[in-house]
Amino acid sequence: MLDVYKGLKVTTKLTSALFMTAMLGMSSQVIANEAETAQSIIKKAELAAYYAGNDGKSQARMLIVDSQDRKQMRQFTILKKDVKDGGDQKMLVFFSRPTDVSGMVFRVEKHNGQGQEDDRWLYLPGLDLVKRISAGDKRTSFVGSHFFYEDVSGRATSEDTFELVEQTDSAYILSAKPKDPSSVEFSRYRVSIDKKTFLPMEIRFFDAKDNETRRVESLEVETVQGFPTVTKSKVTDLVGGGYTLMEFRGIEYNLGLPDDLFTERSLRTPPLEWLRK
Amino acid sequence: MIDSSIKRCVALSLEKAHIIYWVMAVIAVVAMLQFPRIEIDTDPENMLPADNPQRVFHNQTKQEFGLYDAIVVGAVADSQTQATGLFTPNELTNIKSVTDYILTIDGVIGHEVMSLSEVDNITQQTLESGDKAIRFNWLMKQAPEQESQAQEVLKHVKNLPLLNETLAAENGNAVAIYVPIVDKNQSYAISQLIQDKINTLDSKAQWHITGLPVAEDQFGYEMFVQMGISAPLAGLAIFILLFLMFRSWSYITAAMVVAMFTVVVTMGLLIGMGFTVHIMSSMIAIFLMPIAVVDSVHIMSEFADRFKEGQDKREVAKDVVSELFTPMLFTSVTSTIGFLSLLLTPIPPVQIFGAFIGFGIILAFITTILFVPAYLSRLSDETLIALQKTHQAQLESKSGLNKLVSVIGRIANKRQVLHIILFVGVFAWSLVGIGKIEINDNPVRWFKESHPIRIADKALNNEFAGTYNAYLVMTDTTTRPDLKMLFTGDNMGSSIPESLKGWAAKQASRFDKVSGSEGEAEPSLSELTFAIEDQLFMVEDEDAIKWLENTLAKLEAVAKAEKRFVQPEVLGYMESLQNHMAQSGLVGKTNALTDVVKVVNRELKSGEAKDYELPTTANGVAQTLIQYQSSHRPNDLWHFVTPDYKKALIWTQLTSGDNQHMTAVIELVEQFVADNPLPQGIEVNWAGKAYINVIWQEQMVAGMLDSLLSAFVIVFIMMVLLFRSVVFGVLAMLPLSLTISFIYGLIGWIGKDYDMPIAVLSALTLGLSVDFAIHFLERARATFTKTQSIQQTMSIMFEEPANAITKNALVVALGFTPLLFAPLVPYVTVGVFLASIMVVSAMVTLIMLPALITILKGLVFGKTANANNSNSAN
Repeated sequence: MLDVYKGLKVTTKLTSALFMTAMLGMSSQVIANEAETAQSIIKKAELAAYYAGNDGKSQARMLIVDSQDRKQMRQFTILKKDVKDGGDQKMLVFFSRPTDVSGMVFRVEKHNGQGQEDDRWLYLPGLDLVKRISAGDKRTSFVGSHFFYEDVSGRATSEDTFELVEQTDSAYILSAKPKDPSSVEFSRYRVSIDKKTFLPMEIRFFDAKDNETRRVESLEVETVQGFPTVTKSKVTDLVGGGYTLMEFRGIEYNLGLPDDLFTERSLRTPPLEWLRK
Repeated sequence: MIDSSIKRCVALSLEKAHIIYWVMAVIAVVAMLQFPRIEIDTDPENMLPADNPQRVFHNQTKQEFGLYDAIVVGAVADSQTQATGLFTPNELTNIKSVTDYILTIDGVIGHEVMSLSEVDNITQQTLESGDKAIRFNWLMKQAPEQESQAQEVLKHVKNLPLLNETLAAENGNAVAIYVPIVDKNQSYAISQLIQDKINTLDSKAQWHITGLPVAEDQFGYEMFVQMGISAPLAGLAIFILLFLMFRSWSYITAAMVVAMFTVVVTMGLLIGMGFTVHIMSSMIAIFLMPIAVVDSVHIMSEFADRFKEGQDKREVAKDVVSELFTPMLFTSVTSTIGFLSLLLTPIPPVQIFGAFIGFGIILAFITTILFVPAYLSRLSDETLIALQKTHQAQLESKSGLNKLVSVIGRIANKRQVLHIILFVGVFAWSLVGIGKIEINDNPVRWFKESHPIRIADKALNNEFAGTYNAYLVMTDTTTRPDLKMLFTGDNMGSSIPESLKGWAAKQASRFDKVSGSEGEAEPSLSELTFAIEDQLFMVEDEDAIKWLENTLAKLEAVAKAEKRFVQPEVLGYMESLQNHMAQSGLVGKTNALTDVVKVVNRELKSGEAKDYELPTTANGVAQTLIQYQSSHRPNDLWHFVTPDYKKALIWTQLTSGDNQHMTAVIELVEQFVADNPLPQGIEVNWAGKAYINVIWQEQMVAGMLDSLLSAFVIVFIMMVLLFRSVVFGVLAMLPLSLTISFIYGLIGWIGKDYDMPIAVLSALTLGLSVDFAIHFLERARATFTKTQSIQQTMSIMFEEPANAITKNALVVALGFTPLLFAPLVPYVTVGVFLASIMVVSAMVTLIMLPALITILKGLVFGKTANANNSNSAN
């Protein structure tokens, strides 16, 4: 259900797929076709990674490990609902650990239309404050982890141009270049997409000197309610050192989450019935 | 015994000359082969031993907080651009392009570079809906195209206390780029690349490149040049001086061979043994050169005096060496003791310096005894006869040196009581001066004022909050409760449910693994939390779930209590300490976690100054910080606090690297802590180069006093033994005591800071200046024994002996003069002071000792002037 994050991904939502997964209606997509084009592959991957189920829930925990092997932890529950498959999405992220950020909530209304910015809100119980977050740059850290906000919120496939460079028995390998290089810190990336699930399994980012700077990997995939779902992913910072491990569990799809859940009301009053394990 | 061994030495020298030549040649070649392995060390940190606790803490702090040595690139508006400042599209484009270029240089830690185009801005953005949103955005991703946009950048910087006065001067007249580098040995090469880039810019600003790594690298380079220039120049000066004295190239070659051999072997040994060449050891060659020739000059002088046409050269050489052996041995040993006493200082480079010069002096002595007689006795008769004639002519002519000596003699033998009073007066004046000595050092001041490094240092510290850094580290020392007990069930009240016993035992055993083995840390709180959670997913029975949730709550309570640096009480203390430091005027600026929290808090709320404050709860602080971590540079937080929130630091920027300045700041903080008790369990310690400099300075002052006092005592005992008389022992020590007092008194009066080179001088002055007293007293006593008349003795003393003393003082003093032209201040200081020490101590010896001997003649020579007793001294 990490679909919640659908739409969030950078690599065309692919990275997020790493987190989340979800393939909706995927059986048709699962049939690998020699004639697949880069564009069709990436579209299917976007759906697989971000739009599994009509809604979903997942408990996530992150272990952030820095270059000196010092660890931090984050735990949160994600609720998500698709407005339209491949289109807009609503998402809530409820933090529970560390305990001093417990009760903190992110609310996102993702707009997947060309040129549209997401709407983001933040609730900080410690300051008794609801605050809008400017859309701005999406390639900032997600709560101090090595994941970027865009890994969570999804990078539109229209931001990059793709080329199918290689096929193995199990994967398509696509090379992507940003259409606006000044808006991102990489000059290209290379994504490996599983032929069966269409989940992106590895994304490697390169800088202008063509050094690999960052790697996003799907470490474990489970099928939940028929949706192949990434349950463990990892981002490695190959420049500064350090990595973040993210694990999902308690994943459920198609819970029938009501629309009025995804409003400001849920920030100050968490919907406990949907957050229970 | 001694006599026979001296004779054996001389015989060896004369009979096995060829073997000696060959052995020396082989040793010299082997020593020279070591030279290419030379390793220069310019890190002031190495003034402290590697295991020094403050140094260890400093390095641990650098590691824990990810602090790097950085090159500082600064652009400063000159008088023409002052009106517009640097915040114009053109100059900001320059800043951006230099930064982009820097990021492409290998060896630069790109993700830690601090520049206007690489840092985040935190602002308020008004949305269409009218809501105000918090915004993390690159401060200057692209250089602005409009004047107004450029001014906007400055406005943003001024609103961010962490950047203001650090990345840009408040008036917009200066901008800095901080370039952390992987290896400071590359700093010169990297700064050259940056300079080349700057040269291509169309900029009206003055650009400077500085920072400690650049200064150190540059210093190393100049030191190398100095060794290549000053040492040979010292050799040349001595060579010319010797020629003026003896007028024979082949004759004085003897002394030069000894000097060169000593220097080459000593440096070869130093390098070969794997010692690095530090600022002090780079001066070894220059020190040894003049000291090494002194013994040879004695032998050559005496040989020239005695040799007459038709005599057996070998016999003359034997006589000369036998007679001079004892005084030469003693003067060599006393000088060596002066240098070896430096081993008592706790400063490794100073110890190495002392040890190798000590070795060099003994080597010079041995070389002189074995080589010089052999060399002299192999010179042709014509050379020696010509030499003899020149020598006699010089002695007879009352000109130049001889005239000077006779003038000194006339002065010395008149109004002697007045002289003594004068000396007592000078001594008193010196003591007052010593009281005025200011102990201070600053490695950047090792460069002359006109050096580009000094100019950059001045310009940047004028514009910014300071380029010198010290870090006040606050550490929570509270010990963690025994977590293992949570899993063993002891004492904790709640017994472990049966179904979890196996699992809990496994968790408990993770603690055991650690206690014995090194490296493995105790399982972290997050690891234990994760383990419990994993288990929560697996178990079914109520008891187990309850126990696990209970234990989880206990762990969370521990985790929360340990995060000291989100607690308002602790941050509040930090804030008031920072305010106190700012108000003192001693620090340019402090930066800390408090500033991060306050800025984010302000932007989360109204964005206005009224909200520039700390949240009132720990949760509020933690939630503020998690927003800061949602920026482009989340890891910048770890420069201020460790991820476990148990340690934090206050980064203190100072506008000078003077130790006195840093010491004043340390005292300020100590006083504050004394007046305002630290929060429970928190302790404070300093780190940073500015602090490390204070530490080695303190150690040096204490260490130098130790070494001076012990050298003094040892030399005094040696004098008493040499003369077999306490009175003579005291007399021998008086001239050097007065000289040292005078030199340090002078330093106090003229206000020259007592720094490293000055400190080192004390001990070696002692070793060098006692030589004159030994020679004077020795010969005065021998002469008195012959003449039994004080007056006659003194008049004879001011012929040959005084002449020899003056000659030697000049050789050593002039030998050091090339140092005066060095571009590095420590060399100049050492040159000036050693030359003055030589002259002053020669003068004091020649004027004070005659006066004392004359006035105290009864005490000195005994009522009946017991000739037999004094004879035994030789």
